[in-house]
Amino acid sequence: MIVPMIFLVFFGGAAVWFGVVVFRTHSMVRSALALLFSQTAVGLMFLVMQAEFLGVLQIMMMATEMSVMAIFMVMFMMDPGGLGAMDMTHQKRLSLWAGGIGLGAALAVIWLADWGPAGTDIPGAAQQTEDLGRELLGRSMLIFQSAGLTILTAMVAATMVAIAPAKEQPK
Amino acid sequence: MIFELMIALTVGAAMFGTGLYGVLSQTNLVMIIMGVELILAAALVNLVAFWRYLHPEEPAAQMFVLIIMAVMAVEMTVGFGIAIARFRSRGSVEMEEARELKG
Repeated sequence: MIVPMIFLVFFGGAAVWFGVVVFRTHSMVRSALALLFSQTAVGLMFLVMQAEFLGVLQIMMMATEMSVMAIFMVMFMMDPGGLGAMDMTHQKRLSLWAGGIGLGAALAVIWLADWGPAGTDIPGAAQQTEDLGRELLGRSMLIFQSAGLTILTAMVAATMVAIAPAKEQPK
Repeated sequence: MIFELMIALTVGAAMFGTGLYGVLSQTNLVMIIMGVELILAAALVNLVAFWRYLHPEEPAAQMFVLIIMAVMAVEMTVGFGIAIARFRSRGSVEMEEARELKG
C-alpha cells in the first residue's frame, strides 16, 4: 500500500516540476523536452495506478507529439535556443493570480469533498483492455466514432488553413 | 479518506494551475498550446484516478481518457495549422502582434 503511494508522489512531483520548468526556461527546445518529461511522468503515474494500457499509450503518444512540438518550436521561434534570454511573457501578475486561484479552488474541492468508499476489484491488465475494447465498440461506439471523425475533420481543416493560398493569375 | 486518490487529484490540480498560468502569461502561440496540453494532462490524471480509486469496474472512465487524448491531438493539429498560416502571412506567431484579431 505504501509503495504505490511513494511512486505516486514521486512521479506526480516530477510531472508538476517539469510542468513548471516548461514556463521557466528560456530555451524553447528545453521547454518541449520538459513537457515531454512531464507527460511521461503522467504516463508512469497511470502505470502505478494499474492502468497499463493507458500508461503505455500516454508515453508513446506524448513522445511523438512532443517531438513534433519541438520541431515547430525551432521553426517558429525567433530565439529557439534561448541565448538572447528574450522575455516572451505578459500579464504575469494576473496569470499568477489566476493559476493560484484555480489551484486553490481545485485543492479545496479535492480535500473537502466526500469521495465515498474506494473501489476494490481492480481488473487485470488483459481484462481492462478487453473491457475497454468492448466499451468502445459497444455502448460508447457513437462517442468513439465521433472522436475519430473530429480528428479527421481537424486534420483536413488544419491542412486547408496552413496551405499556401494560390496566387491569382493575371488576366 | 483515500490518500492515493488525494495525491493524484492534488497533482492534477497543480498541473491545472501551472497550465492556466502558462496559457495566460505566454505570448507565443506554441507556448500557449503547451499550457493547454498541461491542463488536458491534468484532466487525464483526474480521470484515471477516479477510475482506479472509485469505480475500477467501469470501463467508460478509461474511454473518456481516450477522448481527452483525441482532444489533445485535435488541439495540437488546429493550433499548429493556425500557427503556420499566421507565420506565413505575418512572419511571427507572437500573440502580442495579433491585436487586430481583437473584436
